[in-house]
Amino acid sequence: MKFLLPHRYKKVGTIIAPLGFFLWLCMQLGIINLLLSFQFGKIEYKQGVSNYHLVNVIIAILSFFSFLIGIYFVSFSKEKLEDEMVERTRIESFQFAALVQLISIIFSFLSMLIFDEPDKESIMLFFIGIVFLFWLCFIGRFNYILHIKLKNEK
Amino acid sequence: MKNNIKDERIIKELTQVQLAEIVKVSRQTIISIETNRYIPSVLLSLKLAKALEKKVEQLFELENFD
Repeated sequence: MKFLLPHRYKKVGTIIAPLGFFLWLCMQLGIINLLLSFQFGKIEYKQGVSNYHLVNVIIAILSFFSFLIGIYFVSFSKEKLEDEMVERTRIESFQFAALVQLISIIFSFLSMLIFDEPDKESIMLFFIGIVFLFWLCFIGRFNYILHIKLKNEK
Repeated sequence: MKNNIKDERIIKELTQVQLAEIVKVSRQTIISIETNRYIPSVLLSLKLAKALEKKVEQLFELENFD
């Protein structure tokens, strides 16, 4: 693949992707609000919007994009030694991830038909989840084959 | 397709790492080839044959179902 990044980006990605996810999780669980209230005083609401709303929005954007960029770096950076088997494993992992995503979409739509119609928020979460499922499956399989399965064989 | 890369490598007293370095691939690639999980390209097959001082057809063999 011509558009792969140098190997050093993989290390950067493995740091910023979990960091972004952790930050997003902290924000969702209200830990950021808790820390802010300890530092700058308790949370106050004006017309349903908290005084720390802007900070939360900035953190949400930063964490989401750092997670996204991190995943991009991990997925699209070269291995230390990029050879034909690595390239094939990458293609197979893409196929595997696409298959898992397709099966997940089919089952999700079937469950939507069988059970109650989901609300707007659930559909939004579903689409975000299905995108990440693809990338996580790809990264998981690719790295498992190259760095766990084959490395431990003799 | 089966191969006897592992046997020839052992005869030549080469480790997987050494053979990988000679043909400029990763050790994982050599493992995959030796365990018949990966069929190398013509280019890599020729490089392996050269490194092991054998002909390609001495290293690789077609099976009935191929």
